[in-house]
Amino acid sequence: MTTVIEASGLEKRFGRVRALDGLDLTVTEGEVHGFLGPNGAGKSTTIRVLLGLARSNGGTARVFGSDPWRDAVALHRRIAYVPGDVSLWPNLSGGEAIDLLARLRGGTADKAAYAERKKRLIEVFQLDPTKKGRAYSKGNRQKVALVAAFATPADLYILDEPTSGLDPLMEATFNAEIARISRDGATVLLSSHILSEVEQLCDRVSIIREGKTVESGTLDELRHLTRTEISFAADGMTDEQLARIPDAHDLRTDNGRVKFTADSDGLPPVLAALADLNVKSLTVAPPSLEELFLRHYGDELAGVAELEAEAKGR
Amino acid sequence: MSTTTTDRPATRAGRTAVPERGRVATLGVLLRQRLRRDRWQLLIWILCIAFLALFSAASIDQTYGSATGREELIRLAIANPTVLVLRGLPQGTGLAAVTFFEIYTFLALLAGLMNTFLAVRHSRAEEESGRAELVGSTPAARLTPTVATVIHGVLADIVLALATALGFMASGLPAYGSLVAGAAVGGAGIAFLAVGLLLAQVMSTSRGANGYASAVVVLAWVLRGIGDAIGTVTGSGTTMVSGWPTWLSPIGWGEQFSPYVRNDWTPLLLQLGFAIVLIAAVFGLQAVRDSGAGIVPERAGRRDALPMLNGPLGLAWRLQWPTVLGWTIGGLLTGVLAGALGSVVSSSIANDPSLGNIRDAVAHLGAGGSGPMTALFLSAIMSIVGVLAAACAVQTVIRLRQEEVGGSAEVMMATPVSRVRWLLDFVLVGLIAIVLVLLAAALAAGVSATAAGEKASAFNDAFAAAAAQFPVALVYLGVLTLVFVVLPSWTVPVGWAALGAGAFIGIFGALIKLPDWLRHFSPFADAPVVVGKVDWTGGYWMFGIAVVALAAAAALIRRRDFAIG
Repeated sequence: MTTVIEASGLEKRFGRVRALDGLDLTVTEGEVHGFLGPNGAGKSTTIRVLLGLARSNGGTARVFGSDPWRDAVALHRRIAYVPGDVSLWPNLSGGEAIDLLARLRGGTADKAAYAERKKRLIEVFQLDPTKKGRAYSKGNRQKVALVAAFATPADLYILDEPTSGLDPLMEATFNAEIARISRDGATVLLSSHILSEVEQLCDRVSIIREGKTVESGTLDELRHLTRTEISFAADGMTDEQLARIPDAHDLRTDNGRVKFTADSDGLPPVLAALADLNVKSLTVAPPSLEELFLRHYGDELAGVAELEAEAKGR
Repeated sequence: MSTTTTDRPATRAGRTAVPERGRVATLGVLLRQRLRRDRWQLLIWILCIAFLALFSAASIDQTYGSATGREELIRLAIANPTVLVLRGLPQGTGLAAVTFFEIYTFLALLAGLMNTFLAVRHSRAEEESGRAELVGSTPAARLTPTVATVIHGVLADIVLALATALGFMASGLPAYGSLVAGAAVGGAGIAFLAVGLLLAQVMSTSRGANGYASAVVVLAWVLRGIGDAIGTVTGSGTTMVSGWPTWLSPIGWGEQFSPYVRNDWTPLLLQLGFAIVLIAAVFGLQAVRDSGAGIVPERAGRRDALPMLNGPLGLAWRLQWPTVLGWTIGGLLTGVLAGALGSVVSSSIANDPSLGNIRDAVAHLGAGGSGPMTALFLSAIMSIVGVLAAACAVQTVIRLRQEEVGGSAEVMMATPVSRVRWLLDFVLVGLIAIVLVLLAAALAAGVSATAAGEKASAFNDAFAAAAAQFPVALVYLGVLTLVFVVLPSWTVPVGWAALGAGAFIGIFGALIKLPDWLRHFSPFADAPVVVGKVDWTGGYWMFGIAVVALAAAAALIRRRDFAIG
């Protein structure tokens, strides 16, 4: 497998703020890689370093084996980019902006094929290309950038929270486009904080926090690190009966239901015990990224909860 | 008191219960916000206008101190209507009256621009950015922000009127007449405040509103110029009554105050009445339209780009051509005036020894020199064209900065376009703009001079004078590009401040007797001398500085981060 993006120990400081603090990221050819983290974790900064728009203060970054700062122009021939907050030229129409970007990336050599691609994308994204840049809403600006990115084939697509302004129907269209370019063998780096989107689209995921990578791997690998949520009807179960379930974490009874979590790779003995207890209306929720995410950011959430409690108590 | 508080469970609910008090409170908040936001900007505008009044009064006292000198000046002006277009309406030969004649229309022009920008900044620009929506969702009623803007603008104009009056008084002109003169400036300001507010209602973008409002201000200035030029001479031959076009212009109404002579306050009623009618229309329009919508709908754009829009150069031209066109028309008109005026001035004063003062004054505009009057005059007026060309170049570099801050440069930089090419393509458009403005002015000056009866050599003089301004505009383009690369956030303030200071020192420096060492900080004062003893030294230096600055900018742009969009 060829490595497309290889970053290690990446550092970037803005004054005294450490936006990136030893970030590692590896993306191999042909994969759709989810890049997860809350706002301010350093996702956009990493992307700007990978595009050669910002220069790292430490560590190394390689895209297609080249230095993104030095070889920016050559690399950009192979990259399509959708920024997180799309800004368009206020007095250029969406159609003009799409054409300009496609021409810059050399995607219009075959005029008929380009016109065909552009027409199809404008249709599926339901975009009005005659509006001026300043008249578009956030979602529509994003559509312009997406159409521009997908209208010219690229080897690597870097998409920074590309669906944050789209409605659910458009998200489905977006997912279909990602599936299409992925089938064609392109590599995708998809930054997001929408977990369901990443779960649906991505082969591998990197989770970052405060400028550092805290977790990286395939979704399956990461799921092993998580626990499965299990619940069933309490129906007069005694504590002594419940104690027979092996390795049950956080066991509690809530609204007439018993709930606990179990390690995802140690489920068989748990299920056997549940069968012995003859439990009713059993639900087994698969581990979600959300849980993983919360585990890494749980302390922050706890902090927020404390603040809220304090505010209420006042 | 206690009964009402028990009725209200929370203070938040209470505010809706007292809408009248709420409205007054929000008006106060909005007004304070406007005053605070504009405090430096308005201070600079008002100080500039007041100092222009002060300096011009002082310099006229120095140049035309004697009554005979002033009489010659006024007779010359009345004999040559083009001078009247540029100045105003002669009201006798008193020192104060001549000062008002010389400077009032420029003060009113500046006051007009100050007010239209103020009006649009707090109305259409706010709606465009979405902030107006945020404010509109608070208890502030729909019309309250506009009321606050009107009060804010009127307050600014009252301060402006007083500051201008103080400027005139400080140079020794009579106090009462100075107050009248100040009111003539402030009254024109209020009239243009209303113009700005109305256009902000009509146009759907702040750019469009600012553009049309500025055009109305300039048109008002031109209308009164035509009216003054076709006016009739009365009395002793040094006083004039305006023609009808002057009465179509708020600046023309300002001239009718006739400060220091008749001290007539009635034209103020015209200016204020005009403002009241327009502001009533503003409230009428605002009451019926949606927030964010204009009366003139925005035209749809092109579905596909023209073939020319295929890179940074095409983009830079696409973004800048309206600006370039505007400055080029400015250059063209200035050229026409320069040519027409040049022959008039030379035939009248060149060989009259009693007009040595006027000759001196002309010779000291810009780079100066000594030689035939027509050529000297052309070269002096061309330094104004140089300011226009430099302004156009400055705007091109400022566009680079706007592209960066707005985030569209980021989109561009993520494509296979090198930073150096992006930068130099915009610089190239700046260069093209400079050449177009200067060429238009030179051609127009040559044509209008020959049409006025000058020899064909006037073309040579005009082109030489325009060429002399090329390195000056180029040095602004080059150095500001370097500023954009090295100190990006300074681009806009440094650009306008350097241009304003350079133009002021270059054009008025000699008149107001600034020391030589200070004058030579202005590129306009160092422009090549093309009349008499030709000296291109300053030009070579500026050319060299511009090229070095551009080379440094191109080398350093690779090293810096781009602003986070």
